[in-house]
Amino acid sequence: MNSLFVLIIAAAGIAVGYGLYAKSIDRRVIQPDNQKATPAKMYMDGVDFIPANRNVLFGYQFKSIAALGPILGPIIAVQWGWLPALLWIVLGTFFIGWVQDYSSIIMGVREEGQTFGALSYRLISPRSRMILLTFIYFYLWLIMGSFGVQVGFNLLTNTAVPLGVIIVILVGLLAGQMTYKWKQDIILTTVITVILALVGIWLGMAPGVRNFFASLYGTAGGKASPTLFLDVTLAKFIGSLLVVIICYFGSVLPIWRWAQPINYVAFWIVSLGVLGGLIGLLIWRPGMGDFPAYRMFDVPGLGPLWPILFVTIACGAISGWHSLVSSSGTARQLEREGDAIFVGGGAMFFEMFFAIMAFLTATVAFGSFDGYVKAGGGAAPAKVFSVGLSTFMNKWGLDKLVGEGFGVAYGGVFLTLMALTIMYLVVRFMRVASAEALGDKFPAIRNMHVGTIIALLLTLALIWLVPFLQIWVVFGAANQLMASLALLLITLWLMSKGKNYTWTFWPFVFMFVTTIGALLYKAYEAFFIKLPQTADPAKYKIANVGQFTAAQVIIGIVALILVIAAGILAYDGVTAIRRYRAELAKGKA
Amino acid sequence: MRDEPCEESRLRRALRTLRQIVYGMTVYDWVRELQKERGELERFFVLVVFGDMIGLPILPPYYSLRLIPYTVPLIDRWKRCILRERDLTDLFDSEIG
Repeated sequence: MNSLFVLIIAAAGIAVGYGLYAKSIDRRVIQPDNQKATPAKMYMDGVDFIPANRNVLFGYQFKSIAALGPILGPIIAVQWGWLPALLWIVLGTFFIGWVQDYSSIIMGVREEGQTFGALSYRLISPRSRMILLTFIYFYLWLIMGSFGVQVGFNLLTNTAVPLGVIIVILVGLLAGQMTYKWKQDIILTTVITVILALVGIWLGMAPGVRNFFASLYGTAGGKASPTLFLDVTLAKFIGSLLVVIICYFGSVLPIWRWAQPINYVAFWIVSLGVLGGLIGLLIWRPGMGDFPAYRMFDVPGLGPLWPILFVTIACGAISGWHSLVSSSGTARQLEREGDAIFVGGGAMFFEMFFAIMAFLTATVAFGSFDGYVKAGGGAAPAKVFSVGLSTFMNKWGLDKLVGEGFGVAYGGVFLTLMALTIMYLVVRFMRVASAEALGDKFPAIRNMHVGTIIALLLTLALIWLVPFLQIWVVFGAANQLMASLALLLITLWLMSKGKNYTWTFWPFVFMFVTTIGALLYKAYEAFFIKLPQTADPAKYKIANVGQFTAAQVIIGIVALILVIAAGILAYDGVTAIRRYRAELAKGKA
Repeated sequence: MRDEPCEESRLRRALRTLRQIVYGMTVYDWVRELQKERGELERFFVLVVFGDMIGLPILPPYYSLRLIPYTVPLIDRWKRCILRERDLTDLFDSEIG
């Protein structure tokens, strides 16, 4: 299939999904009233509650929801064939993705800006708040692990990438200094810092720099990086340490000093990359070559198409992260109820387009399935994306302008920055959550450095011990399960208001069954398929039995904890559904 | 010829929309951060002036009375901020973002 045709399918999905389905739900079920005061107006405090223009809020929502998920997920998922992946990206967004984002905002707006913790306490049960937080902590840990492996093991180990990342970070700090301390104009700051960042990425490819990192990694002269412990090589060790050091500063420094200005510079790098890739794609318009539409039902290393594909694509179709951001941030800034569909639904459909771009880098950039596998395949999706993006960018002569391999280095820095923008926030949340939960028993955890170090040590354990695809699938399942819990909460809310709830209830049922199925499959695989393999390590090519065992135990236990937490929430949720139904029947009588 | 102003305004509208979206993706966060800082300073200021309301008489009443014209407009916001129940999931917006 031609890439242009894929883009047309995506555009048609957006036109019908947003223009007809989403708008009809908005008009008929939610019936927004633009005259009604939203929490942003009612409780305006200039801090959390503050009305914002719909276009501004659309940009804010999109920036908050778009991370590495919609990029890596589709690239991994094409291993089942391009057709199932494409169908789930489009149909998942069409029937479930936007539903969750939009209704999370609307529920927040109609419930006076309350967030998920408070709403679950009130709508489901008092204990559900604590269970939800436990669930979220494990979910965030999995985000750190899956993003950390890609950045530390696959991106920063490319000798053309680390200097670019370090320079962009330094340039970000300069942007913060220029804006907050030197009070410089934002346009001047942007121009200077973006140019410096681009030069920095280009410098990263200089032979001297690459040789320096090669000698640091022990890969000079084309040698393989020496293994230090488990199966962590020197290059991977340095890459992962670099990740945790950057995240440490992101967690303990004030937001204006570190995370925010770096994210700002990163935004321009990422936007220019997406634009460059899209232009190249439109000029080139390649086909998929021999990339199979459907390969097999059970992909080795991943699992069966159902339920694993549906959790592997993650944020490309639906994501629990979106509901957290939508209810806590966006809902408190919505100026008019009628803006929710554009902000929540529109941003999700826009993210689907992002996922389609990633899907195309995997399926058309290499001309064949073998090319995709040689570029890294599902085990190194970040590499696939950076090489694919560079292929698109080179189609309009970028490589000729700035030197051989610039696109790959650019793609590497691009993805690293995208991952880091979310990772800072996740570590900050883990730090605060652990202080809240355990601070009374262990006062030392209240210290922000201690809380951060604990979160980062947990992250390193995941990065060093567990293979990427195992973390990714469990992360995807936790992410989608979070989404299904959000849909449960929204369904309960709609029931409590006597509104039509089928459009959220069936997506909830599908996502809940699928994600629980995926987690149980992963737990079963870890305990009953993989662990017994340790009896004969030579046959199953297990290099390190201790590490392999630890990885399976971690994945199995985390999957079971998530299933139990979700099970309790669902049990309480069903009890609440019965309660609301009884109340409704009573009201009708 | 009559269509030109309409086309121009459409183009202008599109550019304004694009500018606002880019602003939302980039600088809006910085502005919110500054608003948050200002809000915290205001909360602290009101607490110093009207600490008596929560049993903390910090400033002698004479100075409180002198500052009343400046602080009265802030009191509603202050009460809302202080009394609002907070949840850990609130952190996904302001405190971590």
